[in-house]
Amino acid sequence: MSRFNNFRSKLADELEIPNDALSDNFELRMHGNKKVIIENHLGITVYEDNIVSVKTNDQDVTIKGSKFKIEEINNYKVIIKGKIKEIVFSMKE
Amino acid sequence: MLIFKLMYLIRGYVVICSDVINSEKLLNILRRKNITVWDVQKKDKGIKFKISYEDYIKNSNLINEIVKPVSKRGAIPKLKKLKLRRGFSTGVLILIISLYLLTSMIWDVEVVGTNQTNTNKILAFLEENQIKIPLAISNIEAKKLETLIYNNFDYKFVDVIVEGSKLIIFIREEETEPAEIKSNEPSSIISSKNAIINKIIAKSGQPVVREGDVVYEGQTLIMGLVKNKNSDDFMMVPSDGIVYGKTYYNFEMKEEKIRNVNISTNKSKSVYYLKINGNSIKIIGDKEPYENYNYREKVIKLPIVSNITDISILKGTYYEEVIKEIEIDKSTAENKMKVRMYDELLKRCDEDSRILKSTINFSEDDEFYYLIAQIEVIEDIGEKIRIFPVLEEETKEKMEE
Repeated sequence: MSRFNNFRSKLADELEIPNDALSDNFELRMHGNKKVIIENHLGITVYEDNIVSVKTNDQDVTIKGSKFKIEEINNYKVIIKGKIKEIVFSMKE
Repeated sequence: MLIFKLMYLIRGYVVICSDVINSEKLLNILRRKNITVWDVQKKDKGIKFKISYEDYIKNSNLINEIVKPVSKRGAIPKLKKLKLRRGFSTGVLILIISLYLLTSMIWDVEVVGTNQTNTNKILAFLEENQIKIPLAISNIEAKKLETLIYNNFDYKFVDVIVEGSKLIIFIREEETEPAEIKSNEPSSIISSKNAIINKIIAKSGQPVVREGDVVYEGQTLIMGLVKNKNSDDFMMVPSDGIVYGKTYYNFEMKEEKIRNVNISTNKSKSVYYLKINGNSIKIIGDKEPYENYNYREKVIKLPIVSNITDISILKGTYYEEVIKEIEIDKSTAENKMKVRMYDELLKRCDEDSRILKSTINFSEDDEFYYLIAQIEVIEDIGEKIRIFPVLEEETKEKMEE
């Protein structure tokens, strides 16, 4: 699954088309250290005032900081607002 | 995000509070059901979030099972509530319709720029032409109405304006011009004041007074009746000339030595009245809160309400004043009386008049300063009047009488 996903990602790069059009990779965007937008996620695993963890296809994205608030969450994207100090990517075993 | 929130303010949203410990699980369930969740806030116990009203209706069974909605907000839930409150909705609808009907009609006609008699005439004329109150604003053609009034009355200017529910007709009446005596019409010059003739310059007509003569008001100075050189008949001519006369003006004035002056203490109190059809009802404040005061009124028009009805708010302000006695010194009083005297003299004389001699005496007693003055002035005292030929028959009748 992962290999095939990597291939699709490479193909998207070669064809110069958006990565999420072919692969299942998530897209992460940051607005300074105040806002994080994660697209193509699979749900929230941890939601606390100082930590938010978002599950994606290949890995878990853990955001550490303070005063976290989920501005919007739907099937496709999640917008997290707060003071971001650290973002940790942990690979699934 | 602002647009998103605005959109849901119209479409409606539901605020939900959840006490579940595992809030992540709840969010993931909602995500899987394709429900958009926003403004997720962590509380002491559980979370608080918002979902769209549409999603809430679709998944109400599931949501009510897990969590409890706190409030429904936005335009659509409110409208749905109104649907249930039929009486209220009907009332509002009737109010809107009646407001619309009331504001689209003319309820009063005001005529500005003329007296009451003419106003009544205009109103009667409008009624004759099927312009009766109440009248729909859309039926009024201002230009047509202006022309109608202008053609039927002798007015210089007519303007018709619709202001709110009022029809205002501005009118400018023709000013009656003073009857001018034409240069070729027979006329005489008479005295306009009691005077002593100083100089008489008669360009045409027969002077009947001499320099030094005492003349009285209305006495003929230059007569427009001249004897024909070729016959014994008299003929009427237009008189022309200037007659200067010496006139005397006497003045007696007095000025108080001690005067009471009102001095403001900068303290003020206001009283508010509700004004309905000319009647005032007191709302807030006290009447006459000070012993000595200066009272000023101001009408505050209420937006929309004042345009439709005759309701406004009257604000009256009482400014406290203290009465102080001020002693006026002699020179100030004399100057004041002099200025007043010359002002009065200017009102009585012409602009071309010249002061020949002035005798001013000042005196005083315990209470007042006095001024006694006599001003000798040289001025044009002639006034042209038209003369008319008297028919022979009329004179005979008068003689017989």
